[in-house]
Amino acid sequence: MQTRTHPLLVAFSVLVFFFLLSPLVIIVGSALSDTSYLTFPPQGLTLHWFQNIFEISAFRRTMITSFTLAVGGTALSMLIGIPAAYALARYRVEVPRFMGNVFVLPILIPEIVLGFSLMKSLATGMGLPITLSLLVGHALLVLPYCVRVVGASLNNFDFSIEEAAVSLGCTRTKAFFVAVLPNIQAGIIAGFILAFITSLNDVSVSIFLTGPGVSTLPIQLLAHMEQFFDPTIASVSVLLMFVTVAVMAIVERTLGLTFLTK
Amino acid sequence: MTVSLTLDNVSAHYGSTKVLEDLSLHVGEGELVSLLGSSGCGKTTTLRLVAGFLQPTAGTIRLGERDLTRLPAHARNIGLVFQTYALFPHLSVRDNVAFGLKQRGVGRRERIRRADDMIARVGLEALADRHPANLSGGQRQRVALARALVIEPPLLMFDEPLSNLDAKLRVDMRVEIRRLQQANGTTAVYVTHDQEEAFSISDRVAIMNAGRIMQLDTPEVLYSKPANAFVADFVGFENMLKMRVVAEAGDAVRAEMEGGATIDLPKDRFAVPGRDFLLAARPEGLLVVEGAGAGIPARLGLRTYLGRAYQYQCDTPGGTVTANGPLSMPMEQGTPVSLVPQPDQCCLLPVEA
Amino acid sequence: MPRKLRPWLLSAPALLLVLLFLGLPVLSTLATAFGDPKGPLAQYATFFNSRFRMTVLWRTMEVALITTAVSVVVGFITAWVVAQAPARMKSLLIIAAVFPLLTGVVVRSFAWLVILGKNGILNDFLLWIGVISEPLTMLYTKGSVIVAMIYLFVPLMILTLVGVLEGIPQDLTDAAASLGATPAATFRQVILPMAVPGLIVGSVLVFTGSFTSYATPQLLGGERQMMMGTFLYQRAMVTFDWVGASTIAAVMVVVTLTTVAVMSGLARKLNPVAG
Repeated sequence: MQTRTHPLLVAFSVLVFFFLLSPLVIIVGSALSDTSYLTFPPQGLTLHWFQNIFEISAFRRTMITSFTLAVGGTALSMLIGIPAAYALARYRVEVPRFMGNVFVLPILIPEIVLGFSLMKSLATGMGLPITLSLLVGHALLVLPYCVRVVGASLNNFDFSIEEAAVSLGCTRTKAFFVAVLPNIQAGIIAGFILAFITSLNDVSVSIFLTGPGVSTLPIQLLAHMEQFFDPTIASVSVLLMFVTVAVMAIVERTLGLTFLTK
Repeated sequence: MTVSLTLDNVSAHYGSTKVLEDLSLHVGEGELVSLLGSSGCGKTTTLRLVAGFLQPTAGTIRLGERDLTRLPAHARNIGLVFQTYALFPHLSVRDNVAFGLKQRGVGRRERIRRADDMIARVGLEALADRHPANLSGGQRQRVALARALVIEPPLLMFDEPLSNLDAKLRVDMRVEIRRLQQANGTTAVYVTHDQEEAFSISDRVAIMNAGRIMQLDTPEVLYSKPANAFVADFVGFENMLKMRVVAEAGDAVRAEMEGGATIDLPKDRFAVPGRDFLLAARPEGLLVVEGAGAGIPARLGLRTYLGRAYQYQCDTPGGTVTANGPLSMPMEQGTPVSLVPQPDQCCLLPVEA
Repeated sequence: MPRKLRPWLLSAPALLLVLLFLGLPVLSTLATAFGDPKGPLAQYATFFNSRFRMTVLWRTMEVALITTAVSVVVGFITAWVVAQAPARMKSLLIIAAVFPLLTGVVVRSFAWLVILGKNGILNDFLLWIGVISEPLTMLYTKGSVIVAMIYLFVPLMILTLVGVLEGIPQDLTDAAASLGATPAATFRQVILPMAVPGLIVGSVLVFTGSFTSYATPQLLGGERQMMMGTFLYQRAMVTFDWVGASTIAAVMVVVTLTTVAVMSGLARKLNPVAG
């Protein structure tokens, strides 16, 4: 589209982007402040609060838990999500419509309801250890991303390439690994990383499945905020923003960020 | 190694829809047979059945003495060239061509040597290290061909291999395909919807419709002696006039068409007294003669210019027909004419039930 | 493996995960809510007769609706400008919208604590320019929750609508212009109708997202501005009233699914392409 945009609309959008980005700038600023309370603009600069993150054992512990959980939950989800996405794309005619919808369910059901239900049924009802319940919850939470992003790659994949491999002597299973997998790599990486950040940032499911001893970083942040209001929270937030930047860089290099507008 | 391909009473279904019915086909050793028809006629289904990507619900498929029917696709050893080329995007030209050899356990050295040989035979030696994304359509087509040929398959199959190329390249590539196929003496099946392509390249052509072979013969026979109305229409006999023999005299019969006009025609096995038959004519098979005469009485309608002739829409008692008239003598709308069938551009066909 | 079974076997693990660990637990929650000995609807009667519960429900509805409405307007205008920006600028703006989207809810809500607090930046600023003489109480109000929610969901709306607006071929707007349509008429008669399905999808995402949110109302609304999400958590984990919590969960599921069903029906009906 090349119609000229009205300057008022442009000015409005500038304000919108200011609204979107300035709170994040404020967080970065207050993380560097040399005061024991949160303030912006920072008064004196220090990296002390970043150091503080690693000195508070609760942050150290939950950070490890969160990363492990995000990697493990996403890996589990990919392991079962890739075959499902493949089935949906490859057998489009044979597969009934509802099957695709089943994998959207974790998005349709409110996360907080899912978290509550998992706590009630798995952790309490079945006596599943909290870590295992968390893993299942996060795998469920990210399954739609895995199926959808990998599915988008598969929908662009020309399955006659797979048939070519079969006609040249590969079994079906081998053809998947040598002809399909290398060509949907970008989708798998992008899906993995988007699922990872979703899991890492989750509150609504985790809040029910954490207890004394086991917690995730966002839940720990929430708890910390209720008691202390010091720049440590800001510096943890900055750390998480670095993760976001890394995630964006990876998505940009694989599917491209415009993928997120589709 | 040359072998023949035989399909015996093969049927196939997609869900509950029948897509192939009792199809039988024999492709002789070293022969190239085309399956020709519009989309949905079953030609691609037939190819996919032979390749092993689909299972027939009935019938058998044999390659030489070997029964393929229950053999998995990867064990059939058939060279396939796909419509989209289906080159492996993540592999170089050389690795694409060597792929089949690798599956056959050919050692690295040997398979690179054979792949490079084949790449040279299709004229791409300079591009062996490129990836498919950096090749033109014609070059991709050659890689696909090399990849299918290098495994020295007893049977080669082509699925609309030229439909993604421009017109000029299509002609060059089909000559190339024919040359390589004949040089290797490989039996081949070629699927296309393009009549000119099928006729130019094939030993025999099967014209298909609704899951059945309507006629299987050499291009020459199909072009001049179609066996039924479907094939006649397909090869350009645009006009079909229903007639009935009313009298017989020596080598000729007198036929009456709908609306009452009569016309004399040479005797034919379908033109039997008392039975209906069809007169099929190409536009150039109906000579436009001004005034009443020995032909079908007609009145000229719309005239269009074809370059080599004028074409007229003509109203006859039996309906509108298309006929060509000479460039030297353009005629005006409304002129009464008679249309004289030219025996070498017309044929007589049975009326189908 | 036989061809017919292949897609089923391949998707079996994922299907099982969803059905066993999402389907069954959620159904059991709903069953708890309906399984009151006083009759299947007794819990709902309690819910809908309770002044407090209804206040929470209406407040949540109100916040979600205002958030959705503002996000639609703000998101549409911004997406329009982004879609028309030159390629370089466009990718920068998309990055600027994706960044907050991928940053966690806790971090983004936390930013508004810093901004809206008693000693927050906004109060400091207003005091400094002399508009006010006493710091205002902005936190733990409905307004603070709504502002943070809008902040949360505008990027999602922008990104959804940029995709939709970019999908409208330029040929269409050119054709409209060639037929004599003014830019305003082209917008009203061509672009807007074609963007309707995207607007509906975006609205559903924002409405259900804000209706079921937890972290933002927890941080910025607190006890005083209880919403459905925080209410559910409080019932389940503070007072351990699981039947009550299940009822809240059931109401949330019903509202969400109804919204999705009604709106996707509407989207299908208003889809200009499908007629």
